Formats: sequence, C-alpha cells, structure tokens
Amino acid sequence: MNDATTGLVRRTRRRLAGVSPVAGVATVVAAVLLGNAAVQEPGLFIDQAIGGLVYGMILVMLSLGLALVLGLMGVVNFAHGALFMLGGYFTYSAMETFGLPFVAALVVAPIAVGIVGVGMEVVVLRRLYGTTPIIGLLATFGLTLMVEEAARFVWGASGLQPSKPEVLTGGTDLLVTRVGSYRLFTVFVSALSVAVVYYLIKNTDFGLSVRAGVQDGEMTEFVGVNLPLRFTAMFFLGSVIAGLGGALRVVEFGVDPGTAEEFVILAFVVVVIGGVGSLFGSVVAGLLVGWAQFLLPVVLSSLALVTGVAAIEVEGVGRLIPFLVMIAVLLVRPRGLFGEEGLLE
Amino acid sequence: MTRPSDEGRLDGPAQDAPDSGRGGSGRGVEPEMDPQSAVLGVADLTRTFGEIVAVDGASLAVEAGELRAVIGPNGAGKTTLFNCVMGALAPTAGSVYLNGRDITDDPEERRPHLGMARSFQSNLLFGDQSVLENVRLVVQTARKGAFSLDLFRPHHDVGRDRAAAIAETVGLDADLGTEAKNLSHGDQRRLGIAMALATEPDVLLLDEPTSGMSPGATAQTAQLIQDIRDDRGLTVVLVEHDMDVVLSISDRVTVLDRGQVIATAPPAEVQNDQAVQDAYLGGMREEL
Amino acid sequence: MTDATAPDPPSLFERYRVPLGLVVLVLALRPVVSSDLLLGFEAIANRMLILMLFVAAFNLLFGFTGLLSFGHAMFLGFGVYVPAIVVVNGLPGLPPGGSLTFLAGVVLALLAVAVFSYLLARLIVGKGEIYFALLTLAVSQAVYFVALRDPGGLTGGSNGLTRGALPAFVEQSRGHITIHAFGLSVDWYWVVGAVFLVAMVGLWQVLRSPFGRTLVAIRDNEQLARAMGVDTTSYKVWSLTFSGLLAAVAGVLLEINNSGASIENLGVLTSGDTVLMAVLGGINYFFGPIAGTFTWLFAEDFLTDFEVLHLPTAEVSLVSVDLGPAFQFWQFFLGALFVVVVLTAPEEGIWGYVRSLSARVKRRLVER
Repeated sequence: MNDATTGLVRRTRRRLAGVSPVAGVATVVAAVLLGNAAVQEPGLFIDQAIGGLVYGMILVMLSLGLALVLGLMGVVNFAHGALFMLGGYFTYSAMETFGLPFVAALVVAPIAVGIVGVGMEVVVLRRLYGTTPIIGLLATFGLTLMVEEAARFVWGASGLQPSKPEVLTGGTDLLVTRVGSYRLFTVFVSALSVAVVYYLIKNTDFGLSVRAGVQDGEMTEFVGVNLPLRFTAMFFLGSVIAGLGGALRVVEFGVDPGTAEEFVILAFVVVVIGGVGSLFGSVVAGLLVGWAQFLLPVVLSSLALVTGVAAIEVEGVGRLIPFLVMIAVLLVRPRGLFGEEGLLE
Repeated sequence: MTRPSDEGRLDGPAQDAPDSGRGGSGRGVEPEMDPQSAVLGVADLTRTFGEIVAVDGASLAVEAGELRAVIGPNGAGKTTLFNCVMGALAPTAGSVYLNGRDITDDPEERRPHLGMARSFQSNLLFGDQSVLENVRLVVQTARKGAFSLDLFRPHHDVGRDRAAAIAETVGLDADLGTEAKNLSHGDQRRLGIAMALATEPDVLLLDEPTSGMSPGATAQTAQLIQDIRDDRGLTVVLVEHDMDVVLSISDRVTVLDRGQVIATAPPAEVQNDQAVQDAYLGGMREEL
Repeated sequence: MTDATAPDPPSLFERYRVPLGLVVLVLALRPVVSSDLLLGFEAIANRMLILMLFVAAFNLLFGFTGLLSFGHAMFLGFGVYVPAIVVVNGLPGLPPGGSLTFLAGVVLALLAVAVFSYLLARLIVGKGEIYFALLTLAVSQAVYFVALRDPGGLTGGSNGLTRGALPAFVEQSRGHITIHAFGLSVDWYWVVGAVFLVAMVGLWQVLRSPFGRTLVAIRDNEQLARAMGVDTTSYKVWSLTFSGLLAAVAGVLLEINNSGASIENLGVLTSGDTVLMAVLGGINYFFGPIAGTFTWLFAEDFLTDFEVLHLPTAEVSLVSVDLGPAFQFWQFFLGALFVVVVLTAPEEGIWGYVRSLSARVKRRLVER
C-alpha cells in the first residue's frame, strides 16, 4: 500500500512540476480567499465545503465514464448524462415502485443502467468507432433526446425524488456544524467506487488490454484479446458508475427529464478541465468544479464582509463558474490540467 | 533539356557545371550554392517528433529552372521535408528560403501566394467536386489572395476559362465535369498537378507524382512534368521512387537517408555513388 | 444547392431555382399549412419561416463551413432581447414603446451581435471541431445564466420580457398581428415573408459567391484548402460572424412574433433543436434546413394534437386506433430518425432523400 501512495505522490509532484508561476500565484490567492471565508463564516464554510465535496464526487463518477469512453475509445458520448439520469430514475422506481430497500436499489439501479449502456454501445456506439468525433457527438445527442422522451413517457415530466432511508437521515457533529449522514455515506460510496474503477483500469490486464486495443486494434486482437467484448465491458463499467452517481444524487435532489442535458454538459466541463485522456484529471477536476461552485458564494460573501464592499457578493455566479473555467481552459491550455496534447485537436 | 544557370554562384570554388560538384567537399551538401541565393533553399532543416528525428540538418539549394529529384529509402524523411518546406509542419530548427527570402515563419496558406505549390502523395482532392471546379477554386484563390470577402458574384464566373486551360495542359480536358473521386488513380494525380499549377507558382513540389501508375502512364506523366518545366520556366522538385523517371528527366538528384542529405549530384553520378548504394542496400543487408 | 460543375453554364431556370423556390415557399406556406387537412391554423406559418431562417443561419456555419455550433441560441437571443430591452426601457431621446425606438434597438442588436460573433470567432475558431462545439455550448450557457440573473433588471430573469416589448407599429388582436407603417396595414405574415426572402436570397448569394465556395472547400478538405493558399481561419471567422448576424435577424422577427423575449430563447433546448432540425433536413443542401424545420414543427403541432386515427376517414370510421399517448412523444421518434440519419447519411437528410428520389423518378420518365 505504501508503494502505491508514494507512487501517487511522486506522480503528482511530477505532474505539478510543469505548472507555471501564474498558476502558483492563483493558488496562493485562492488559499487566502478560502482562508478568509473559513475564518469569517466557519459553519457555512464547512457546510458548503462538504456540499461541494459531495457534488464534486458525483461529478467525478459521472465524468469518469465519459473520460473512459472518450480517452480510451475516442467516442464523444453525449448520452452519458442520460445514463446518469436513468440511474436516478431506476433508483426511484426500485425504491418507490418495487419497495426495495435503499442499499438494494443502490446495486440494482446501476447495473440496470449498465445494461442500458451496453444496449447503446452495441446498437449505436459500435458504429461510431473510427468515424469523426462530430458524428459521434451528433449520434449520441440524438440518443439523449430519445432517452429523455422515453423517461418522460415512463415517469412523467415533473421531478421525482424517493424518500431518504431512515438509517441515513440525521447527522453527526463535525466541528462547528452538523453533517448529514447521507452526505457522508455518499462520499464514502463514491470514493470507494472511484478507487475500484481506477484500480481496474490501471492495474489489471483488463484495463491494459483496452488501452492496447485502442493503440493497435489489429495486433491486440491477434494476440487473442476479444476487443469488441472488452470495449463493451469498458462501456458497461462507465455506465454503471454513472448510474451509481445518479442513484446517489436522486435521494437528495431528485431527478427530472432535464437532468440528462444539465449533467452531460457538466461532465464535459470536468473532462475538459481535467484533460482528455487522463482519469486522474477527471477526479481532480470534478472535485475542483464541485468546490468552486459551492465555495464561491461563501468566499464572495466573506470578502464583502471583510472589505465592506457589498457589491462583491454577486448572486448566482456559482452556476456560471464551470463554464467560465472551461472556456478559459480551452482557450489557454486545451489539453486541460493533466491531459495529453493533441487529443481531439 | 535546359541547364541550370551558372550565374548567381556566391560561395565555393568556381565550377563549370554542377556535375563536377562532388569534387571539393566530397559527397554531401551542395558545394556551389548558398540556400539563400537559390530559388528554393533549405538550410540545416531539422524536424523531430518526440524522440524520432525525421529530418536531420538537411540542406538544399535548387536553382532556377532546375528539375530536382529527391530520393531515398522508405522513411528517409522525404515527405516530412516537403511538409516543412511547404509550411504544413514547422521545422524544429533550420530555415526555408524562397528567392532569398526567409519564409520559415510564413504560415502554410501564404506560401502558394509567394510562388510555391505542391501536390500530395495521398491524393488530396475535393472529391465531390468536378475536375473543373477543383482547379477553378485554386485559380480563384490565387487571383483573390488568401482571404477575400467577394460576396457579390456567382463563383462560376471566376477563373473558369483559366481552369479549363490548365486542365487541358495536364490532359484532363475530356473529364472536366467528372467528380474528382470518380477519376482513375492516374487522373487524380494529374488533377493534383493541375491544382498546383493553378496557383501560378515559380516552384513546383510534387510528392510522388507517378506512384501507383502503369508504366505507360508513368512515362506520360514524366514527360508532362518535363514539358511543364520547359514551357513555363518553372523550378520543379520531385519526390520519386521510380528510378527510370529520375534518370530520364531530372537535372540533379538529392539523396536522403535517415533524415540526412547524403548526396547531391546529377543522376548518373548518384547511381554510381557508393554511399547511396549502401543506403538503399544496407537496409536490406540488415534485414537479411 | 448544387453549383455548375458541368462545363456548360446552366440554364436561367437552373441558376435561379433557389430564389424561385423561396418565393414559392413564402407564397404557399401559410395557405398550405392552415388548411384543415394539415394544421388548421395560420400563426404557425410565421413561426416556421422565422425558425427556417434561424436554422439556415446555423447551417451556413455547420453544413457549409463544417463548424458545429451547439450554442446558436445565443445569437438568436441578441435579436430577441436587445430590441425588447430597448423598447421596454427606451433610449436617451427615444421613448419606450416607440417605433423609432424599436428600429434603434434592432440596429443596436445587429451591431452588438456582429461584434460579439466576430470577437468570439477570433477566439475559438482555431480550436478543433469538438472543442469548438464545446466552447459554443459553454459560452451560450454562460450567456443564458447571465440573462437568468436579470442584471440591472433588464432581462426579466426567468420570466423574460413580456410587457411593453412591442413597438407602436405592431397591432396584436386575437392572435393576429398586423403591422402599421407608412400608412399601410400589412399582415404580419407578409412582413415576415419579405424579411425571410431578402435574408435567404442574401444567404444564397453569399453561398454561391467565391467567398461561399471557399467555405465549402474548407468544409470538404481544410488541409487541402490551406495548402492551396486559403486563409481558412479568416474564412471561418467571417462565416461565424455572418451566421450570428442572420440568426439575430431571425431573433428580431421572433421578438415581435412572440411579443417579447423569453429565457428559453437562449436555452440549450433551442440550440439543440436547431442542430436536430438542420441535420434532419439535410445539411448539405440549401433547402435542407427548411425541410428539417418544417418537418420538426409540423410534427410538433400535428402529432401532439393527434388523438385517434380513424381508418379510412374520420367520417366513415371502420377502425380507430388511439395513437395519442404514443404520438405525444413524437420527439422520441424524430430523435430515432435523427440517429438513423447521422449513422447512415449524415449530410443528406430528408432533403437529400427527396432529391435522390426525384432524380430516380426523372430518370424513369426519361427512359420511357
């Protein structure tokens, strides 16, 4: 275990070695602002920090699947948000219509989403390997529309939310504030699943063979690897984890037919910021986006408090942040934080 | 066959004609001309892709009206060199000169307007358009510049006749209406040459113009290239694999091996050059 | 739109068939669409023409230059919001609700969108297809959220601008809009039709000009175009600028048509629907966006109200099938059709299919 951690630390250090002075200054400024907020409004700060963490982990789960398919298989899967959405809907049905306990739903729903994902892969996405990315983007965009309409047909147009399981209501005390048990549970489950996916991709033959398959399909198949099957399996994995993300989110925030588009855009933002081709980047970027969206209001309000300039406290900026950051990243450093150069350019 | 002119030589020992050029500096970079005073000059051009050095300090000086062939075993860096000369790739080091002017930093789309044009090894064409339209578009671009906001005329009025004339020069006048993707391979190559001609270049770079052609078509194309050079006074640089073509029409040959220029001389001499033979055959010896 | 690729120049009819077709479209659309056989009401013809223009503007960039914009609603939004804001609030020297005020608003809108599109284009045009699409999405989302926040009370936030957004020369009664200008009273449809015609014929001319031809070359093979001396970046920048401008013109028409501005005009649904309509219609063809928009809007109206299918006729009903529930989700089916089109013939669409069909029919007739 120690080797793995030192390896991680070493790799992170190496990656950050290329960071420019501008980024260094920005980090210092951010630290100061955050520190100010933490001091001024500690309760709110911690609350938002946890909220940001939860949201960020959900984003990570959503984006991992997208990053996998994009980085490994070269397909721009716009339908990934729809899979996330289905995770929410399946969980709702499992709990409210079929009366399954929450934990059971948390297993059943993602697997069901995985099956839907496989269906998508076999029927549509397979035909996209090797075509231009724009075609893939368009086809999966059409798929999203179909899934949205189907959802509207099955579950109606208004938002749905299953009831929180008894065991997870309530909270625990953490420093100056109380943290909801459900939130802690979400962080735990998502961290665990991200770790599992990471391990699967990086350290097993399976992950290696898919990576090899992308580099040189013919050779990999020659060596005896059933590539289409592995690609499908990879897609299954990506769909399951997206479905799990949707399942975790639906209990706290509900789901509606618009969830698909809302979250797929965020998924792209995260993948772009993190860097196409880098799973590690998606994890970092997901957390950053989550925290940025939740902590910015607190930072601004405490800055307004400290300086006495009320105008700083601009409302509604939180939702704008992910897009502004993505725009900045694409203009200045298209490969994102940890991505490979030249992918998709 | 016209001979490259003796004028304009600034460096090196006085020579009567290029074919004795192997004397002083042995094989290697051309002893007579400085890249900056040639029509097309390449000075110490290097291009790397990560660890791989595709072109390694290559230098060329092509004189006005010369027909230069660039040969070398597969992977020698010929197309990469071409790409750098035409601006499709930026060199890692070194410079490109056109009529003495340093054009290394000029973007790719400016170079046809400076007087250089190319054809592609991979037959890049506007497949869905007709032969005439392919050439016409290039004529239009050559006339109006790299960018023009010409919005008020129908396009077919611009450059049609000129395009038809150029198509006729390469022998495609019977196929003006055919879609480019429906042409035979040989005709597609000719279309590529026609499009390069349409930019009204001083220097023409042709990347394997006879590849994939039957012997008859190859001979025709070789003759065509020669005629183009003679009639229009162009300078032509060819990448070629077909040695018959090289021997029959080129004035001088530059041999590339592993990114380096290992010989520059008239074709007959290059044929007998030991280093060149080693380059071509040495590879095979290693395989055996 | 085909160009004269044969050595002989085409006949006069051939040359001008697009403008002729457009005139026929404008003249025939409303009567056809409002007949009881089809949709049975007139106002939709206005919306159809306006959106056809918008999707055609989008397709200038996508079908004819090869750049996919997933945020075209933001350009439409300039045309919808700026005149509305100006009419509601007035300008120095120009009272709210005035006709001149409106015109000033339109000029302002077009100037603003031109500058915005140009600057945006300079920034994002060189980034590669996918990144370009993502950037347009991100920028349009940013614009959406800014408008949603209702800065300075100007945009009306999620409610949009609905009161006082119509200038004096527009008269609205019982869903029917009339324009009063220069002593005449003109049915709104004809005003829309006239603007549509001028704009579309202008677009057609741009596309058949040397500039437009070069755009197509860039779409077909950008690498080759550059190697032949085309400054592809500048062409793309101007294509985006024109596209944004034309989209804003459609926006101005929409503002009057809808008596104001709605936040949905800036939303992802609008941008997404545009892509759907264009691809469905056939991005390679001038009439593709028109066909696609018509199909989409027709389906939206026709199928949502569809309840029971009587066979063979409504009067003499032998078999009746209750299709209402299924057809309410017409977007599912059109979405499926869209996916099929993308996978099999992404550039042809409905119009491409219609053309190849009529070509085959023509051949059969000639053979006889």
